[in-house]
Amino acid sequence: MDHILSVLVLFPAIAGLLGFVVSKESIRAYGISVATIEFLLSLWLWFSFDASYPGMQFVEVLPLIPSFGISYYLGVDGISLFIIILSTFITLIGLIALSVKKDIKNMIISLLFLEMTMVGVFVSLDAILFYVFWELSLVPMLYIIGAWGGELRIYAAIKFFLYTFAGSLIMLVGMLVMAYLYHQATGIWSFSITEWHRLILPMNYQIWLFIAFFIGLAIKVPMFPFHTWLPYAHGQAPTIGSVILAAVLLKMGTYGLVRLPLPMFPDASVHMIYPVAILSLIMIIYTAMVAYAQKDMKQVIAYSSVSHMGVIVLGIFAMNPEGITGSVFFMLSHGVVSGALFMLVGVIYDRRHTKLISEFGGLAQVMPRYATVMGIMAMASVGLPLTMSFVGEFLSLAGFYQVSHTMTILAGTSIILGAVYMLTLYKRVFFGEVVHEKNRKLNDLDGKESMALWTLVLVTIWLGVYPKPVLEPINTSVEALVSFMHKKAMTSEAKSVIRPTVIKREAE
Amino acid sequence: MEHMETYLYIALFAPLVGSLFAALFADKPKTLTTGIVTSVLLSVSWVSSVVLLIHGYHGETVHVKMMDWIHAGGLYIPFGFVVDQVSATMMFVVTTVSAVVHVYSIGYMDHDRSFNRFFAWLSAFVFSMMVLVMSDNFAGLFIGWEGVGLCSWALIGFWYHKESASWAANEAFIMNRIADLGMLIGIFLIYWNFGTLQYDEVFAQVDKMDATILMMVTAFLFIGAMGKSAQFPLHTWLADAMEGPTPVSALIHAATMVTAGVYLVIRANPLYSMVPEVSYFIACLGAFVAIFAASMALVNRDLKRIIAYSTLSQLGYMFVAAGLGAYWVALFHLMTHAFFKALLFLGAGNVMHAMDDELDIFKMGGLSKKMQWTMIMMTLASLALAGIYPFAGFFSKDKILEVAFSTDHYLLWAILWFTAGLTAFYSFRLIMLVFFGEERYKIFGFHPHEAYRFVLIAMSPLAILAVIAGFFEHDFIHMISHVLPIEEYHVSHTVFWILVFITQGIALGGIGLAVYKYSHGGFSKKWEESFIYKLLFNQYYIPQIYNEYICKPYAELSTILWKDFDMKIVDATVDLIATSIYKSGMASRVVQSGNLSNMLRWMGVGLLILLIAAILYSPVR
Repeated sequence: MDHILSVLVLFPAIAGLLGFVVSKESIRAYGISVATIEFLLSLWLWFSFDASYPGMQFVEVLPLIPSFGISYYLGVDGISLFIIILSTFITLIGLIALSVKKDIKNMIISLLFLEMTMVGVFVSLDAILFYVFWELSLVPMLYIIGAWGGELRIYAAIKFFLYTFAGSLIMLVGMLVMAYLYHQATGIWSFSITEWHRLILPMNYQIWLFIAFFIGLAIKVPMFPFHTWLPYAHGQAPTIGSVILAAVLLKMGTYGLVRLPLPMFPDASVHMIYPVAILSLIMIIYTAMVAYAQKDMKQVIAYSSVSHMGVIVLGIFAMNPEGITGSVFFMLSHGVVSGALFMLVGVIYDRRHTKLISEFGGLAQVMPRYATVMGIMAMASVGLPLTMSFVGEFLSLAGFYQVSHTMTILAGTSIILGAVYMLTLYKRVFFGEVVHEKNRKLNDLDGKESMALWTLVLVTIWLGVYPKPVLEPINTSVEALVSFMHKKAMTSEAKSVIRPTVIKREAE
Repeated sequence: MEHMETYLYIALFAPLVGSLFAALFADKPKTLTTGIVTSVLLSVSWVSSVVLLIHGYHGETVHVKMMDWIHAGGLYIPFGFVVDQVSATMMFVVTTVSAVVHVYSIGYMDHDRSFNRFFAWLSAFVFSMMVLVMSDNFAGLFIGWEGVGLCSWALIGFWYHKESASWAANEAFIMNRIADLGMLIGIFLIYWNFGTLQYDEVFAQVDKMDATILMMVTAFLFIGAMGKSAQFPLHTWLADAMEGPTPVSALIHAATMVTAGVYLVIRANPLYSMVPEVSYFIACLGAFVAIFAASMALVNRDLKRIIAYSTLSQLGYMFVAAGLGAYWVALFHLMTHAFFKALLFLGAGNVMHAMDDELDIFKMGGLSKKMQWTMIMMTLASLALAGIYPFAGFFSKDKILEVAFSTDHYLLWAILWFTAGLTAFYSFRLIMLVFFGEERYKIFGFHPHEAYRFVLIAMSPLAILAVIAGFFEHDFIHMISHVLPIEEYHVSHTVFWILVFITQGIALGGIGLAVYKYSHGGFSKKWEESFIYKLLFNQYYIPQIYNEYICKPYAELSTILWKDFDMKIVDATVDLIATSIYKSGMASRVVQSGNLSNMLRWMGVGLLILLIAAILYSPVR
C-alpha cells in the first residue's frame, strides 16, 4: 500500500458520504465497520512503520498550487503515528459505545467526517493542508454539539467555534508571514512544514511568529486563560462529542506545539519557556482547584482534563527528550483516560439524565462493575504507576525538572490536587449509602458499554506496564527533533537549554 | 542459581495470582474458595521467601532483570528485582504476617458480603508490598509505594457505605500523595544528578557527589517516607485508617506498609550515612513522634486507635535508630514490631468481634473469662511491646536505647526511655480495661465469645515469634552484616547493665502503675476535665486545625476561583469581547440602510479618507 496515508484520510470521508444512502437501521453496523477498517489500517501503519528511523515515513507529495508552493504533502513520524492510531481507536470505541438515539445517521456521518479531519491534521506536513484540516475539524464538532447537545447547546457550539476559529486565524497569519519570509530567504514559495523547519530566522521575527502560532494552538489546548470555551463545550456536548473533543481534538494543540513552533523557532521557544511554564502552572493548579468546586460530574472531568493538559505543555517546554517524549505519550494516555472518563459519565447520564454529583451516592453497591471501571480510570487519571498516565506524567515532570526545580514542585502538586478532586468525586458518587430512590434500580454496564470501557482499561494497563512498543518510536523521533533544535538554535542560551540526550547510557 | 530466580518470581507473583483470582469473584456472594486459594498462594510465597532468606543468610543475593519498563532519552528503568539480606528480611516479615492475616481473615470476614473483594485487595496489597521491597531501583520502589497506597485506600474504605470509612480512605490517600510528591522530586533529583535510578549504580557514585545534592536527595526522599510511615505532621491519617477492617490494620497499618518509610531509609543508607544533618533530623523527628504518639495513646478510649498510636510511636523508635546510623537495629525493630503489633491487632479484632464491633474500651472489662486465649496472646504482645525481657521487643527496643546512649545523644535517649514507660503504661491500661476488672459489657448487653479455634491457631505463629524473635539477634546480625554496616556500640559493661536495669525499671513501673490504677477503679473524673487530658484526647487539636485551616479554605478558595474568577472575570472577558464586536456590528449596520442618498454620503466620506491616505502615504511627495 503506497498511499496508506491518503487512504487513511479519505476512506472515512468517502465512507461518510456513502453513509447517506445506507438505511437508518444498518447505519450503526456500517459506521462501526468503517471505523474498524480504519482502525485496522492505522494498526497496519504501525506495523509497517520503521521504528528505528526518526524522520518522516510513508511520505506522499502532490503539488496543488505550485506557484505558491502549496502541496498535498503527507507523512508520519514517531510523534504523529500514535496520535493517528489514537484518533482511529477512540472513534471506533466511541462508535461502539454510542448511545445517541436521535438522528443517529447524521451523527455517524459527522463522526466519520470528524475522523477524516483528525487524521488529516496529524498527517499533514503542508501548512495550508494542516490549516484546512484544522479548521474543517470544527465543523462536525459544531454540528455534534449544536444538534445533540444540552439546553445551552447553541451558545456552547458557537462559542467553541468562534473562539478556536479566531485563534487559528492568528495562526494563519503567522503561516502566511512564515511563507513570505521563506520566499524572501530562498526565492521560492513553500508551505512545507519540513522546509520551514530549516529556515533560520532572526530572534525578533521568531518571537512574533512564535506568539502568533502559540495563540492559535493555546486556545485549542486550551491553555489558561483561553480555556473557558471548554467547560461549556463539554457541558453541552453529547457523550461522544466530549469523548472525541477531550481525547483527540485537544491534542491537536499540543501536537501542533511539537510540530510547529518548537522546531521552527527554537530560540524563541527557549526564550518563552518561563512565560509558557507559568501559564501551564496556573493551568495545572488553578483548574485542579476549580475542578474540585464543581457540582457536575462532567465538569469535574472537563476541568481535570485541562489541568492535565498543563502538564503536557510543561513537558513539551522541557526541551529535552525525556520531557517531550513524555508529553507525547501523555497525550495518548490523556486521550484514553479522559475519553474513558467522559464515556463513564455518559453511562450514568444515559440512565439518570443528570450529571449532578449530589444526585448520586452509594452507586458502588448498585453498579459494582461500573464502579470498578470508574475506579480504575480515576486512579489512572490520578497517575498511579502501572497505568498509562503515570508514564507520561512522570516523564513530563522528570523532563521539566531539568529546567526548574521549584516549578516542577509546583507542577507536581497536580498529583495531589488530582487525587483531591478525583477521590472526592468518587467518594460522593460511589461511596456512602444509596439515598436517592431512583438510584436503587440502576442497571450495571451493558454489553456495548462493557466492551468499549474494558478495552480502554486494557490499553491503559497494558501501556502502563509495557509502554516500550509505543515509547520507543516516539523517543526515536523526539531525540532527532531535539538534536535538530539544538543544532539549529543560534543563541547560546537556547543551545544550553535544548540538551539532546544529556546522559548517554547503554540500554539493552 | 537458576532456581533461586524461580523462587523470587514465585514469591513475588503468587500474591498477584491470588488477587486476580479473587477479583474474578469480587461482586459474587461469598465463596470460601477465594479465601483458601489466596491463603494457599500466600503460603507458597512465604515458603519461597524463607528459601530466599536462607539463601541470603549465607551471603548470597539474587538479582534479576525481568523486562524493560520505561526508556526515554537518557532515562532507563527496567523491572528489576533484587533479593539481598534487607529485602529478604522484609519479604519474610511481609509474607509471614500476610499469611497469618489471610487465614485469620477467613474467620474474621466470615459474615461479610464482600468477602471475595476483601481477599482480592488484601492479596493485591501483598503483591504491591513485595514490589516495594524487592525492586532494584527507585522507580520500582515507587510503583510498590503507590500500589500499597492504592490498596490501603481500598481497604480502609472497604466498608464504603460508612461515611467515616470512605473519608478516612481519601484522607490517607491524599496525605500520602503529598509525601509522594516529595519522593518524586527526590527521584528526579537522583536521575538528573546520578543519571540512573538503579540502587547499585546510584550508591556507587555517592562518594563523588556534591554534599548539597545529597542533602536535597535525602531530604526529599525522607518527605516520602514521612507520608507512608505517618510521621508528624502527616500522621493524622493513620489513626483514622483504623476505620478499615481489623486484619487490614494489622497487616497494613501496623506491620508492613507503614514501615515502608523506614525501609526506604535503610535501603538508601549509603546516601543517608553521607548526610549527618538529615539523619540527625530524622532521629530527632523520630524521638518526637515516639513521645508525641505515646502521649495520645495514654488517654484514648478507642481500642484500635490506642494500638495505632502505639504503632506510630514505635515507628518513631525505628527512625531514631535509622537516623543514628544503626540501620540494622531499625530493621530488627521493624521485624520484631511487625510480629507483636500484628498479633496485638488481631487480638483486638477478636475482641471487636466478640463485642459486636464496639471499640470503646470503657465498655469492656473482665473479658478474660470469656476469651482466655485472646487475652494470653494480647498480653504476650503487650509485654513484647513494652520491651520486657525475654520478649522480642526487649532485644530490639533496648538496642535502640543503647545506640542513642552510646552515640552521646542523651536527650534522645531520655525521651525514648521515658516513652518506654508510657508505652508500658498504655499497653497495660488497655489490657486491664479490656480483660480485667468489672464486667462493664454486661450493662451494654454484649455477649462476648472466643474467636474460632482456627483463627486462634492462625495467630499462634505470631505469638511464638513475638516471644522468641529476639533470640535470633546474633543470627540476624550475621546475616545483615553482608549489606548493612554493623557498628559496635561501645558502652562499658557496667553502664550497659545500668541501662538495661533502668529501662526495665521504667517499663515494669509503667505496667505496675497501669495494673494498680485500673484494678482500683482508674483515674478520677477530675483528670478527664483537665486541660492536658483534653489536649491529648483531641490529638492536640491537629485534625481540627487541618480541617479548619487547610481543608475548608481550600474548598472555599476553589469555589471562589470557579464562580468569581473563572466565570465572572475570565469567561466574562471573553464574552465581553464577543458582545462588543456583535454590538458594534449592530450599531454600524445603519450604514447599510439601503437609502441611496445615505450611501452616497458614506461613499463621499470613504473617498475623502482614501484621498487623504493617498496623499499622506504616497512615496512621491
